[in-house]
Amino acid sequence: MYGGDEVSAIVLDLGSYTCKAGYAGEDAPKAVFPSVVGSIDQVGANDEVKSEKDSDPMFDSKSTDKTKTRKLYVGTQALGYRRDHMEVISPLKDGVVVDWDIVDNIWNHAFRERLLIDPKEHPMLLAEPSSNAPHQREKAAELMFESYKVPALFVAKNAVLTSFASGRATSLVVDSGGGSTTVAAVHDGYVLQKAVLTSPIGGEFLTDCMMKSLESKGIVLKPRYSFKKKEIRPGEFQTIELDFPNTTESYRLYSQRAIASDIKESVCRVPDTAFEENAYANVPMTPYELPDGQTIEIGADRFKIPDVLFNPSLVQTIPGMESLAGYASISGLPQMVIESINKCDVDIRRELFSSILLAGGTASMLQLKERLEKDLMEEAPQAARVKVLASGNSTERRFSVWIGGSILASLGSFQQMWFSKAEYEEHGVSYIQRKCP
Amino acid sequence: MEAVVVDAGSKLLKAGFASPDQDPALIMPTKMNRVLEDDDGGDSSMVVEEVTVDPVVRGFIRDWDAMEDLLRHVLYTDLGWEVGDEGQILFAEPLFTPKAIREQLVQLMFETFNVSGFYASEQAVLSLYAVGRISGCTVDIGHGKIDIAPVCEGAVQHIASKRFQIGGIELTNLLAQQLQKSNPLVKIDISEVERLKEQYARCAEDQGSFEERLNTCQIETHTLPDGQTITIGRESYIVGEALFQPYILGLEEYGIVEQLVRSISSVSSENLRQLLENTMLCGGTTSMTGFEERFQKEANLCSSSIRPSLIKPPEYMPENLSRNSAWMGGAILAKVVFPQNQHITKGDYDETGPAIVHKKCF
Repeated sequence: MYGGDEVSAIVLDLGSYTCKAGYAGEDAPKAVFPSVVGSIDQVGANDEVKSEKDSDPMFDSKSTDKTKTRKLYVGTQALGYRRDHMEVISPLKDGVVVDWDIVDNIWNHAFRERLLIDPKEHPMLLAEPSSNAPHQREKAAELMFESYKVPALFVAKNAVLTSFASGRATSLVVDSGGGSTTVAAVHDGYVLQKAVLTSPIGGEFLTDCMMKSLESKGIVLKPRYSFKKKEIRPGEFQTIELDFPNTTESYRLYSQRAIASDIKESVCRVPDTAFEENAYANVPMTPYELPDGQTIEIGADRFKIPDVLFNPSLVQTIPGMESLAGYASISGLPQMVIESINKCDVDIRRELFSSILLAGGTASMLQLKERLEKDLMEEAPQAARVKVLASGNSTERRFSVWIGGSILASLGSFQQMWFSKAEYEEHGVSYIQRKCP
Repeated sequence: MEAVVVDAGSKLLKAGFASPDQDPALIMPTKMNRVLEDDDGGDSSMVVEEVTVDPVVRGFIRDWDAMEDLLRHVLYTDLGWEVGDEGQILFAEPLFTPKAIREQLVQLMFETFNVSGFYASEQAVLSLYAVGRISGCTVDIGHGKIDIAPVCEGAVQHIASKRFQIGGIELTNLLAQQLQKSNPLVKIDISEVERLKEQYARCAEDQGSFEERLNTCQIETHTLPDGQTITIGRESYIVGEALFQPYILGLEEYGIVEQLVRSISSVSSENLRQLLENTMLCGGTTSMTGFEERFQKEANLCSSSIRPSLIKPPEYMPENLSRNSAWMGGAILAKVVFPQNQHITKGDYDETGPAIVHKKCF
């Protein structure tokens, strides 16, 4: 039993797109940075890792392969600097952690460089995907206790934390994040596993659609590192292209996605009804200024891209993405919600319909809430009262999992539920299944 | 009695009674000499060793005993507090101060110094108050660290803020290195290099003219206090350029303006224009000759549609605003917080303990 009350707990949420970390009790995470890392492979055993230049990059020299070591760069600063041969890799594949080494580095960066704390002194609350496999949580617990020597740990499911953030014990959580969209039903604080549905369509996918769509119109997104501005006459600027032949494809894509993602966040809006080419052919174009000074106009794409969430078969109409025909068979968001509710017991369905929560970065898209409510009212049974709730503040929506964790870890009644180091040493890592439901 | 405002930096400690529109009464170095008296071993003569102690490292207080001695000197001797009649105190803290350090500071203040009221605020917010704004970006280039922070309506947006562990001290070391190369026979003490940096370092107007100066620039001779002469020429420009092209310091980073633009871009777009157009430079290093002009020029060349532009400080503020802006903002805030009883009182502290600082001061 860990009765920590003076020392603040740390809430850590490693998502598919960003990692959020901060102190419990606060209303927003202090550290938010991408959950992808830059990696440079160094071949040869005699490779010295030069440490005098490194004030920021977090490097790791554990060999993943007997012949190569790799140097990892974690965090917005380290990733933002273009380096030769740096690949951008993600520790997650389809929402499941495959590379624990990278996760270790990400956590280390969050604790030691962003929050400036010593993990030995703070209990940790980890947020995990709603359909996380038991061996994954055991691996996470093992890593925390062995490497970081945390005094206590708790692992909670994303959907439950979002539910707490809005003050409800029973709700249907629609978490639309970077890598995927998950619909999960929470009843009395427990996730109903049979009703959890995931779809690979998330913010990153929509960003890719935006990029391909712009490319097909001939607009080239120049990554930030590839140009330089020069003043040729006072007040007049010229953009000069810089060529870096050793930049990897993955880094170039990563930089372009950053720009496309900003375009998506500033101009896209969910249409009020299903998207049709003809109806939106004459919609006025919105201008957007790219970092290199070029101004582009975006018209129908503003509405088409977000509608992919509701109608994934639209993907086939975007030039360049026809290869992803498999996506056409995925259900849209309203269908997922109905399917999930139908998998639950009949008694709670009414309550679930009237408390549908929206969370995640993609959920802060304009008009998403209204469109979802409208679509659901058409498809839901007559007697059900459909209510979609979303906090008005877009920061709150983006971090609602983290905020729920912050609330949970600062509750007085929660302090006895921690899985402490003593219990770990006594019962072993599988005890976590019993302590953290 | 007025509240005391203290801004403990890595190099200089600024303290004084809260009087807005004026410089702090006391600006003194935080570096201290600890005299170790070694009188055991039966030796009749006392061996006195002097060790330099830095209580504040990279912006954060690390050596609490030294800090206590320093504050004792400042509060009781210099500012004239009397034991038993201590007043209220306001501290300026850097960005990302760990919770443990804040709690320890509150504890030190209430238990050792017995102050009647305490408040702490982040330096970024205070610097903006000094120029009469509640929203904007601050680029605080100090001796031990650089903080870039956007502030919206008095609240620092931590998500978009950045802290770098480089500062004036790295520039001093760079100058020492460069001078050693061009004046190999002369041994210069690091504190002398510090003075040389403040006197000679300057920024070239832009990257092109920097390259020119490297080859052709006037060499000046300077006489050190111990009589030796050194020549200083291109070194002064190299030091000025280091913040705009960090590869000179050996770092794989972009220049300071690019860093500002990139970190601010994570704030939502409605506020972006308002933040970037109200950028403020503060901290000792920004008073380098030519820094502001160069910053403005680089701002026009950065990769963002909205160009950062610098705030003009109000005329009623004294000359050295950028060096002491956090202290002055603290003086302004002290006039608001203490009369309105928004600070932590001794009663609050006794009831809740040091953790009250997180609830009352943000």
